[in-house]
Amino acid sequence: MEVKITEQGGTMTAAFIGRLDTPASLDVTREVQPLLDHADRTLVLDCKDLTYISSSGLRIFLTIRKAAAAKGGKVIVQDICDDIRQVFMMTGFLNLFEVRNG
Amino acid sequence: MTERHLIFHNDIQQIPQLAAFVETVAEEANLDQSLAMGLNLALEEAVTNVIMYAYPPGSDGLVDIEAVIHADALEFILSDSGTPFDPTAAAEADITLDVQDRPIGGLGIFLVRNIMDEVTYRRENGKNILTMRKHLKAK
Repeated sequence: MEVKITEQGGTMTAAFIGRLDTPASLDVTREVQPLLDHADRTLVLDCKDLTYISSSGLRIFLTIRKAAAAKGGKVIVQDICDDIRQVFMMTGFLNLFEVRNG
Repeated sequence: MTERHLIFHNDIQQIPQLAAFVETVAEEANLDQSLAMGLNLALEEAVTNVIMYAYPPGSDGLVDIEAVIHADALEFILSDSGTPFDPTAAAEADITLDVQDRPIGGLGIFLVRNIMDEVTYRRENGKNILTMRKHLKAK
């Protein structure tokens, strides 16, 4: 699992690459700290190369979403695959996030 | 009926091995990739739960993971010798809450229940035994 964080204009993008399982989430929790520090901006969670997510990964997404809600920022989940969309649907996350595909 | 077996220590770093285990089982049961991913997810959540909570922090313990392929169902059976704990007794997560009210945790067991068709717990001979069953279309 790799997280690449980039900044352009006022937008901070985190690209999640690989499998966000429980042990990977332990590291990723630390790596996404810049997003939590800038949760007053637009944060893009790029999931184009995210192949798997478990509840520990969903917990990270929700933590970012809550930080944005508290600080007046915005979170966009970009390009989730069908299988992960299914997990988002099952857990009600589709109602919590703005999801953009394509 | 085919059986596959895996034994973990209560070490969270072993979790990635579940992916290859489920892949082998999915191939043998001729399951599609979406179903395999769901099963991987359910199994990870259930095994994580045991690794994190069954044994006192710092002590070594085992998690026994068995997959049984029947003609009409796939079964995962987890057993451990840890503290008695029935994950099926946990309260159902409320997924309709909005961002502010939504608790950060509690989705693991929720995912297990939603992905699998039957989840049953029993305590037997000092062991926690969790059986998770997914119905398959008969071939």
